[in-house]
Amino acid sequence: MVNLDLIPSAYTEIVRGEGPTVRPHEFASEVVAVEPVMGDSVLLTMTVPSPMAAEVRSGHFVDVLCRLDGSYDPLLRRPYSFFRADSRAGTVTLLVRPFGRGSTWLAARTPGTILDVLGPLGNTYDIAPRSRNLLMVAGGVGVAPLVMLADQTVARGLNVTFLMGSADAAGLLAPTLLPSAVEYLVATDDGSKGHPGYVTDLVPEYVRWADQIFACGPEPMYRSLRNAVNPHRIAGKPRVQLSMERTMACGLGACLGCVVETRHGMQTSCVQGPVYDMDEILWG
Amino acid sequence: MADGSVDLSVDLAPNNPRELRLANPVIAASGCFGYGQEYANVVDVQRLGAFVSKGITPRPRSGNPMPRIAETPAGMLNAIGLQNPGIDGFVRKYPKLWQHWRVPGIVNISAEAVEDYAMMAAILDEQPGIAGIEVNVSCPNIARGGYCFGWDAGMSAEVTRAVRDVTTLPVIVKLSPGAVDIVSVALAVEDAGADAISLINTLVGMTIDVKSRRPVLANATGGLSGPAIKPIAVRMVYQVAGAVRVPVIGMGGITCLDDALEFFMAGASAIQIGTAIFVHPGMLTRLIDDLEAWLAKEGVRSLSEIVGAAHDRRGVVADLEEPDLMLEAAVAAG
Repeated sequence: MVNLDLIPSAYTEIVRGEGPTVRPHEFASEVVAVEPVMGDSVLLTMTVPSPMAAEVRSGHFVDVLCRLDGSYDPLLRRPYSFFRADSRAGTVTLLVRPFGRGSTWLAARTPGTILDVLGPLGNTYDIAPRSRNLLMVAGGVGVAPLVMLADQTVARGLNVTFLMGSADAAGLLAPTLLPSAVEYLVATDDGSKGHPGYVTDLVPEYVRWADQIFACGPEPMYRSLRNAVNPHRIAGKPRVQLSMERTMACGLGACLGCVVETRHGMQTSCVQGPVYDMDEILWG
Repeated sequence: MADGSVDLSVDLAPNNPRELRLANPVIAASGCFGYGQEYANVVDVQRLGAFVSKGITPRPRSGNPMPRIAETPAGMLNAIGLQNPGIDGFVRKYPKLWQHWRVPGIVNISAEAVEDYAMMAAILDEQPGIAGIEVNVSCPNIARGGYCFGWDAGMSAEVTRAVRDVTTLPVIVKLSPGAVDIVSVALAVEDAGADAISLINTLVGMTIDVKSRRPVLANATGGLSGPAIKPIAVRMVYQVAGAVRVPVIGMGGITCLDDALEFFMAGASAIQIGTAIFVHPGMLTRLIDDLEAWLAKEGVRSLSEIVGAAHDRRGVVADLEEPDLMLEAAVAAG
C-alpha cells in the first residue's frame, strides 16, 4: 500500500532543516580536475552554479549524463553522491569507479570537458543535535558521501571514527583524504592491509561509543552491519542511517523505478532517500 | 520565441462539447511525470500543453519488486507494476491541486475488468480539475489471462464504450503496439466513442544478465521505451492517422524537435514525451520553443498545416497494411 502523504516533494525533502537550498535543475558543468584514487577510481572535480557548492550536504547527489551529445547510449543519467564540495572554488568532487559503461566513460573525462548534470537531488544524512560521537562505515566507493560527512562534522567539533573496507589495500582511501582528527581503521578482504575480513567485523566495539552510525556501501555490507550492530544496541540506540543505491531513471520521484521497501511502503530512493534509517527498511 | 504569429493550439476532442483544448501540442506522458507536482520545481509545468498522470487503478498497488528498470540500447525497459494510490487515493489528493493549475491534467486509468474502467471513469467525471481521461488498454506489465485488452479490437471497443457511457469528459484511448492489427483497434475505439487516440504504449521486451543467467527485471519482462522504438511508433501513428477521423496523439522515443516533427508529419495532432523527460526534463518546454521557432522559420502559421504532411496524397504508397509486401517490393526495386 502506498500512502501518498508520505511522499514529499523533492523540494521539501532537500531542505531537511539544513537552511536555504538549491532547487534541482539541469546545468552544464566543466571538469576542472581528475585525480587517480583508490586503485582504478578517480576523483572528478567539476564546477557547479553558485551557491550549490555551499548548500549541498552529505547524501545529496547529482545525475550525470555519461555520453556524448547526439548519442543515445547509455540512455539514462548516472547518480553520484558528493565526495567533497568547495564553496569558495564553486566546485564539487565525485568519486568515480569505472565498472559499467557510464562510469567508465565518466572516469575517462579530462579537464575542460563539459558535462550535462541534473541536481542537486536526494536527502541527507541527518545529525541529531545532541550527537557527539559518530561512527562511519564505508564499503568501497560507498566511501564518497561519508568523506563529505566526516569533513562537515569534524569541522563542527564532533568525534568521528571512520571504518573502511575494500577488496584489497589498493582500493582503500588514503588517510590524507580524511580530516586529520578522524580515527581511521581499515579492513581488506585479502588481508593486504588492516583487519583481514569485513569492515563490519570492526563495528561491534564502537557501537556503545557511537551516538549515531552512518553507512554507505553495497547491500550485503548492510546486512552484515545489522548483524554486527543489533546485538549491542539498547532501545534501538544508536540509530543507524544508510544510503541505498538503486538503478534510477528520473531522479525526481516520478518514475518509481528506484524504490526501497520500507515500513511506510515503497519509497523512492531518489527523493525520499537515498538515506534511510536502517530500521525503516524491510530487508526481506 | 513567442512572437504570437504561430498558432500552436490544438483541440484534442473536437467532437466533445467539453473540449480538450491545449495551448500547445507537447504533453508529458503517463508514468514519466508522476502527478505533475514531482516536476514542479524543475520544469515550468504550467507551460505544457498538458500532462498525463501515472496510471491509476481501481485499488492501490505497491507495484513490482526491484529491479524495475533496465537500460537497453537507445532505450529502457520498465516493469514498475502500476504502483499508485488507487482511484480513491488519487481523488483525495490531486483534483483539488490540479483545479488551480492552468495546464490541463489528464488521468490515465488502467484496470483488469471492464466494470472497473467504468467505475473509475464515473468517479473522475464528478471531480474538478480533470481535463480528460486516457484509457490504458495496453499495459503490458499486468497479465490478464495472458492477453491484454489492447491487443483485440473488440475488447478495446468494449472498454471504450463502458467509459464513454459514464462520462462526458474527453476520452483518449491509448493503444498497444502489441495489437495484431493496430488500425482495426483504432477504428473500433473511434467507433465506440473515443474522442482521441494516443499511441504507442511500450513494447514488451526483456533483457538477461548473462553473469547471473537471470532476467535483469524482477518481473522478467518489461515495457520498452525510448529512441529504440521510435520508427515503430512513427509507422503506427502514420497508419492510424491515415485511417481515423479523431485526433491522434503520437509518442514513442521523442527526444528532440526533429523527432516531434516526424510524428506531426505522420499525422499526430499532438505528441507525448516520456522517457526523454527522465534524461532532460527541460526539453519539454525547450521543445515548445523549438517547435514555434521552426514553424515561424518555415513560414507555417498553424501547426495543423504540417499534421499528416507525410501522407502521400497521390496514393502511391498510402496504404501500409501489408508491410511485408512493401519490404519485398523495396528489396526487389533496390
